[in-house]
Amino acid sequence: MARRRQRGPAFAAALALVLAAAGANACERPQDWTGGSKIAGKTWTVWWQSAPAAIPVGAHFSLRFRLCGPPVRQVKVRGWMPDHRHGMNYRPGVTLAGRSGTAAGLMFHMPGRWQLIFDIAGAAGREKLTAEMVLE
Amino acid sequence: MPEGNWRKGIGGRELAELGAPISHCQMTDIVKLFAVAFCIQIILGALPAGAVDFTAAEQRKILRHGPWPPPAPPDPSNRVSGAPAAAAFGRVLFFDTRLSVSGAISCATCHRPETGWTDGLARSRGQRAVDRNALSLFNLRFNRWFGWDGAQDTLWAQNLRPLLDAREMGIGAAGAARLVRADRSLSCGYRRAFGAAPGADDERVFVDLGKALAAFLETLVTGRTPFDDFRDALARNDAAGQARYPAAAKRGLRLFVGRGNCAFCHFGPAFANGEFADAGVAHFAGSGRADPGRFGGIRKLRKSPYTLLGRFNDDPARTTAVKTRHVRLAHSNFGEFRVPGLRNAALTAPYMHAGSLKTLADVVRHYSTLDEERLHAGGERILRRLDLSAREQADLVAFLESLTEAEPRRDGGIDTEVPPCR
Ligand code: HEC
Ligand code: HEC
Repeated sequence: MARRRQRGPAFAAALALVLAAAGANACERPQDWTGGSKIAGKTWTVWWQSAPAAIPVGAHFSLRFRLCGPPVRQVKVRGWMPDHRHGMNYRPGVTLAGRSGTAAGLMFHMPGRWQLIFDIAGAAGREKLTAEMVLE
Repeated sequence: MPEGNWRKGIGGRELAELGAPISHCQMTDIVKLFAVAFCIQIILGALPAGAVDFTAAEQRKILRHGPWPPPAPPDPSNRVSGAPAAAAFGRVLFFDTRLSVSGAISCATCHRPETGWTDGLARSRGQRAVDRNALSLFNLRFNRWFGWDGAQDTLWAQNLRPLLDAREMGIGAAGAARLVRADRSLSCGYRRAFGAAPGADDERVFVDLGKALAAFLETLVTGRTPFDDFRDALARNDAAGQARYPAAAKRGLRLFVGRGNCAFCHFGPAFANGEFADAGVAHFAGSGRADPGRFGGIRKLRKSPYTLLGRFNDDPARTTAVKTRHVRLAHSNFGEFRVPGLRNAALTAPYMHAGSLKTLADVVRHYSTLDEERLHAGGERILRRLDLSAREQADLVAFLESLTEAEPRRDGGIDTEVPPCR
C-alpha cells in the first residue's frame, strides 16, 4: 500500500503565504476536487491527484493536474527513483488545456522512494515541481 | 504438513524447528536426543514462535507477497478467456504434434508438464535449436508481458510465436488454419470453443488457436505453498502457524526482503514486478551474437500485428492496452530480461534466459558473487555483490524452495468436464 510522504507541506504552506502576500495567486484546491496534493514552486504551483488515489507499485496509474501561475506552453510528467537512478519504463501521455491537464500511462515499477516530477514550460520560463513519496 | 521439495534434506533439528505435528516427530531419527527434546516441547506447546522475529517493517514487506492466489479476472482481449470449452480445446492443441512442420514437435516438447512445464534444457530445441531457455507456464495470467524480452503483450499472441518461428514449430498461419479446418475432431473443438465453424480467413482462425491455447494455459495457477501458510499466519498473528515455517526459510526470507534487495524486482504475490532488468547474466546468444533482450522485444512488439493495438484485440475499448501504448524504448533496455516469477522455481531448472545456471544454489551464488562491472555503467543501483556466507546462501535457497506448491498440477487443472468431440 502506498504511504505517501509529501515533501514539506509546511514549507509549501509558508511559500503559499509569501506568494499570497506578494499578490500572487494563493492557488486553492480546485473547487470540483476532493483530495489531491499541492506542490508550490517559484513560478507555478500545481495541484495533482492520482487515480487510484494511492499510487500502486507495479501497476499503471494516471493523474490530473491544475496549475496556478503564468500561461503554460508545455508540461512533461516524469517519474524518477533517485536511489536507483532510473525512471519509468513507460512514457506518459500528457494532455494540456489551458492550465489543466491529465497524464496517462505512468507506472512506478518498484517499491521505494520515487519522485513525481512536473516539468513546466511557458513564456515565464521553465520550472520543475517535484513530489516525493515512498511506496511500499 | 505439505510435502514440498523444500523439505528435502531437512534434518532432525530443523524438522523440530518446523513445529511439526506429532506424527512427524515420530518419523524423526529418535537417536538424536535433542530432536526428541524439541518434539516434546512442541507437544507441550512450548515452542516459541520461531528463532526469527520480524520487525514491523519486515512484516509489511512480507505481507505484500500475498495473499495467494490473487483474483484472476478473464482477459478482455480474448473473448474465450475463462471459457471451459476453449480451455479444453486449447489443451488438445497443446499436445498436438501436427501443429509443427515436421509433425514431431508439440508445445509440450519444450513445455513438459512433468518438469514444471519446461524442458529441463539450457536452451530449447524444436525443429532446430533456439537461443533461449523455455519459460515455465505457471501463473501466466498475472504477466504483463510475455517472453524473456516481453515481445508479446498478451498470452494469446505469445502462443502464436512458436507456430510461426521456423526453429520451434513453424507451421505458419495458413498451415495451422488448414489443419484445423480439415480435421474433424479439431474443427469440432474449434466450434465448441468459438460457437461457429472455423471461417475462411486463415489469420483469424490462427489467432483463435492462440486464444484457445491461452484459455488453457490460464488455468495453470500454482497452489498454496509453505510460504503462503506462513504469510497468512503472520497476517492473522497466529504464532503456532508461523512456527511451522522452517527457521532456515525465515532467515532466507529476511535476506530476500532485506539486505538481498531481491524484492525490488521479485515483487508482489507472484514474486515478479512484471518488468525487465539486467541481473548481471551474460547475454551471448551463441556464435558471438548478443541477445538484445528487452531492447529487441520492444522493437518486435512495435512491428507485430498481434498486439493489443491491432485488429485481433477482442476488447473494443482496449482497456488493457495502456502498457502497449506507453511503453518506452531506451538504450538501457539492451540486455535486460523479464524478471521471472519465483513460484515453483524449484521445479524449473535450469535458470536465467539462456539456462546458464543449473540450480537455485547457483542462482544465489550468482547474486552473492555478482560482477558489478558487468552491470550497466550509470544504470540501476540495486544489485550489489552480496558476499553471503555459506549458511546465508543455504537459507536463501531454503526460502526459494518454500515457494513450491505441494502437488503441481499436470493436467492443466481443468475441472469442468467438456463433452468430447466426435
Ligand atoms: C522449441 C521449444 C518450444 C516450443 C515447441 C514451444 N515453446 Fe513456448 N517457449 C519456449 C521458449 C524458449 C520460450 C522463451 C521464449 C523467449 O523468451 O524468447 C517460451 C515461452 C513461452 C511462453 C511465455 C511464458 C512467459 O512467462 O512469458 C508461453 C506462454 C509459451 N512459450 C507457450 C507455448 C505454446 C502454447 C506452444 C505451442 C504452440 C509453445 N510454447 C511451444 C520454447 C518452446
Ligand atoms: C534488478 C532486479 C533484480 C533483483 C534485485 C533480483 N533479481 Fe532475480 N532476476 C531478475 C532478472 C531480470 C532475472 C532473469 C535474468 C536473466 O535471465 O538474464 C532474474 C532471475 C532470477 C531467478 C531465476 C528464475 C528462473 O526461472 O530462471 C531466481 C531464482 C532469482 N532471480 C532470485 C533472486 C534472488 C534470490 C534475488 C536477491 C538475492 C534476486 N533474484 C534479485 C531480476 C532481479
